[in-house]
Amino acid sequence: MTRGDKCLAAGILLTAILAIALPRLHSSLFSIATSSTRAVIKAQGKIVREVDLSDRGGRSTFVVNGRVGPSTLEVEGKRIRMKEADCPDKICVRQGWIEKPGDSIVCIPGEIIVRIEGAAPLDAVTR
Amino acid sequence: MFSTRRLVFLSLLVALGAVLHVLEGMFPIPLPLPGVKLGLANIVTLFAIRLYGLRGGLAVATARVLLGSLIGGVFLSPGFLLALSGAILSTLVMAWLFNHTSCFSLIGISMAGAVGHNLGQLLAASLILRSSAVFYYLPVLLLAAIPTGFFTGYILRSLLDRLEKTGQLRGMTRE
Repeated sequence: MTRGDKCLAAGILLTAILAIALPRLHSSLFSIATSSTRAVIKAQGKIVREVDLSDRGGRSTFVVNGRVGPSTLEVEGKRIRMKEADCPDKICVRQGWIEKPGDSIVCIPGEIIVRIEGAAPLDAVTR
Repeated sequence: MFSTRRLVFLSLLVALGAVLHVLEGMFPIPLPLPGVKLGLANIVTLFAIRLYGLRGGLAVATARVLLGSLIGGVFLSPGFLLALSGAILSTLVMAWLFNHTSCFSLIGISMAGAVGHNLGQLLAASLILRSSAVFYYLPVLLLAAIPTGFFTGYILRSLLDRLEKTGQLRGMTRE
């Protein structure tokens, strides 16, 4: 490895760490209300369902029809996951549970996106 | 145009790349990280760049993805479009670094190629899905690009050393 290689690896590492840390820092600094969140489910470009993820402790499943077939989503308390999918690689299923605002599950073959949004009353404030 | 000799070696590289591409799709690495791959086919692309420049690399990368997706039965599927845009972007990045910089070894170029591949894939995915939500996954892929890029670059380095030592490399680049 040359010095250039090491700088490159360090640069990639730093970018990745910043990309992970900055959104978290931002949401904790500006204390975006995370008490109630909702999952927005898009299939083939359209919003097909919004689920309130308030902590009721219950477990429920529902089916979304994607491009390649039906996918089963499961909600448990404040978190949601792709339980079963008809896509070939099952990357969305292996992503497991998500619960923080900004977290996403993306199924590319099925064109399904599950994204968690904070139920803050305002998107942003400018002064 | 490529000479006949080059054409033969390019075809061999395409065949090798397509096989690695398909095999890798069949056996995902046993890590709890969805979508992370070693990028074995990238070894062949960088080898083609090293021997025949940008045009050779692009020819091998695109033909490999076309052939690999036909064998795997995913031709023109979203996965195919992702693989194609990843392969093209990574080839462009690697060829540019190879031709215009001197501070990176094959290992560094290979890492940059892995990052280029990830960016190309996510770019295609965000266009297909009309959403930028996929970039949420970029940090994981970036972290994975360091070891996988190192691994593929190291393999290529060893391969080139061996070919140079036995004199076979000159035979491959001769007109």
